Amino acid sequence: MATTEADQRKKKTTSYQHGPYSSKLTPDDYKELLLQLQLARYFDVRLIKEKKRGRLTGTLYSSHNQEAIIVGSLYGLRPYDWISPIHRDMPAFFMKDMKAGWRNPDRVGMSVQQVCCQVWGRVDSPGRARDNWSHIGSREKHIIHSTSMLAGTIPAAAGVVYADRMEGGDAVVLTYNGEGSTAQGVFHEAVNFAAVHKLPVVTIVENNQWAYGTPTYLEYSQEDFARRADGFGIPGLVADGQNVLDVYDKVMEAVAWARAGKGPSIVECKTFRAYGHGDHDDDRAAKYRPTQEVEAGRARDPIAVMKRMMVEQGIISKAEAEKYASEGKGAAEVTNDDFPPEVVQYLNEGIEFAMKSPLPEPEEGGMWVFREGN
Amino acid sequence: MAAAPEVSTKKNYLTALKEAIFEEFEAHDDIIAIGEDIGFLGGAFGVTEGLKEKFGSERVIDAPISEAAIVGVACGMCLHGKRALVEMQFIDFISTGFDQIVNMTATYHYRTAGEVSMPMVIRGPAGGYGGGALYHSQMNEAWFANSPGLKIVCPSTPKDAKGLLKAALRDPNPVLVYEMKELYRLRKIEEELETGDAALVPLGKASVRREGEDVTIVSYGNNVYHCLQAAENLEQEGYRAEVIDIRSLVPLDEETIIHSLKKTNRLVVVNEAPRTCGFAGEILARLTEEAFEYLDAPPMRVTRLDTPVPWVKPLELFVLPSADKITEAALRVCKF
Ligand SMILES: Cc1ncc(C[n+]2csc(CCOP(=O)(O)OP(=O)(O)O)c2C)c(N)n1
Ligand SMILES: [Mg+2]
Repeated sequence: MATTEADQRKKKTTSYQHGPYSSKLTPDDYKELLLQLQLARYFDVRLIKEKKRGRLTGTLYSSHNQEAIIVGSLYGLRPYDWISPIHRDMPAFFMKDMKAGWRNPDRVGMSVQQVCCQVWGRVDSPGRARDNWSHIGSREKHIIHSTSMLAGTIPAAAGVVYADRMEGGDAVVLTYNGEGSTAQGVFHEAVNFAAVHKLPVVTIVENNQWAYGTPTYLEYSQEDFARRADGFGIPGLVADGQNVLDVYDKVMEAVAWARAGKGPSIVECKTFRAYGHGDHDDDRAAKYRPTQEVEAGRARDPIAVMKRMMVEQGIISKAEAEKYASEGKGAAEVTNDDFPPEVVQYLNEGIEFAMKSPLPEPEEGGMWVFREGN
Repeated sequence: MAAAPEVSTKKNYLTALKEAIFEEFEAHDDIIAIGEDIGFLGGAFGVTEGLKEKFGSERVIDAPISEAAIVGVACGMCLHGKRALVEMQFIDFISTGFDQIVNMTATYHYRTAGEVSMPMVIRGPAGGYGGGALYHSQMNEAWFANSPGLKIVCPSTPKDAKGLLKAALRDPNPVLVYEMKELYRLRKIEEELETGDAALVPLGKASVRREGEDVTIVSYGNNVYHCLQAAENLEQEGYRAEVIDIRSLVPLDEETIIHSLKKTNRLVVVNEAPRTCGFAGEILARLTEEAFEYLDAPPMRVTRLDTPVPWVKPLELFVLPSADKITEAALRVCKF
């Protein structure tokens, strides 16, 4: 088959067929996206190291290999849009509205200090360490408070944007869900409600092929979880969850649909869970998941995918791409030198703050069951 | 010319609920209502009749049949700063919204250390004695009394229905209102109603429905009338019973009950929920802990048997409390 010169050039400049949104990104956007991917990765491996050193209690739910979903989905949001993250999305809490400046106290996202206080169970956590891991939120920062109940916050997400719309607002809400959680009744009940009321609810399905110890073929009888959308008469998109640009394109498509008043949609991001369900499960996961499957699932590290596209497009040189190379490495293999210093510095600030924050007073355990007065 | 027939200004329990809702919707434009068939139809029992016409379909939402979505969406509304009035078509169906109530809504204020409150009212027709059978007769309040963060009320009169619902709609916490559907249109309990703030009945205050010196009978909801009948029966036997309608389960007005026990030294607690872990057991336990020194006889409970509520009359009456069963229990306590 004859190829034109233009085809050749296109093939050379990018291996990714850009959608209308990512094609407008500037080289600076690319650099920021890469840095954010590295920050999310660093957060993950650093916590694993902290846990190994015994400085941390509580279970870690790694987002390793799934960072492109968090970074790509958040990148196009306006500050006042809402998000509803789950256990696998811990970095999302401090990465929301990062464009406003990582350290900008006015950005509509949590500070890394707050998130670290939550991880370490300190009183300066947004929830004063009353519930664990990702179970925090903030009305002011437009982050719906996460709970353990899988898919349990999607109805609230619908309610938030319903109320916002009543007040003339046009906020969109992104809810994050594992693919396994889409089997919950409340998932369907909430998406149906949103569809009936044409609410701007974008439901992201992080399909990492496993729900704890259960593979996808025992969760759903179709290949694409995006097909869940068909029964509601709403769009169901599939994104390459290893490619931050594709996640960005597909989520922005869904967000634009929502902003135009057309209602909810589902964006399935295909990815792979790099480790155990939580760090308590790493050893067993190594047994219940075939090594080959794990190797294949981790072959396309989202940081490596992004770097490759940036080199292809001449945004960074090959040497620059190789400078900080955490991609493809597990937590045990990377060091701080594998990450850009600004990334390490940023998280250090969070951890140092958390280490100085005290535990809550015991009596707080008995407080705030009810609101007194009005 | 014949005299015009006297027009009664007394109102029934259902009208009282309706008035509460309309008054609060009028006064506070941040309240929304959500439930099944509450708009076009006006609710299965007509409690929200006319609400959608008056306040619009944005504030009065006919929801798909999903108690979980209804409660969860209301929770999101409250998170965004609204107040929500949620209708359960029958309180029995609350079970499919259970997680959204106990894990999502009830815990919100606690887990956010006071950042977010949940001014939500969940109301619905409840209770037996109407032949509603297993799934239209329940009193499942104990599930929720066992879930910290929820207030629970159960009015027995039109005045209390109006006043408690109004107070619930102004409360910053989630409040469950167990409405006694057998009392909705009962003529003999109709009464004059106040309007506006004067109609308010505070949450957490019991009401002494009959005074007496010999035994205290504590109850709520429809059973209050069985207790009052039992008090009549006891009077024939020479015992004067004090009947306390707690009205509010959470918070519970223990003071009023203890005050009564200091006088009567005898206690019977009545509710139509099943016996095991029912709220009657909780009342009894607390008073045994806190007022043991005033008791001259072991306290007793009269409750539903530990069965579902069966359909046909003889079966239903067999398992539910009755004036006779209460009389019998009270006599045992009095004669101890
Ligand atoms: C309602 C409910 N049931 C069960 C669990 C226990 N649980 C926590 S995470 C999990 C697996 C979730 O899988 P998936 O939705 O695919 O998300 P992933 O962890 O893979 O990101 C399970 C079963 C829970 N938290 N909530
Ligand atoms: Mg999964």
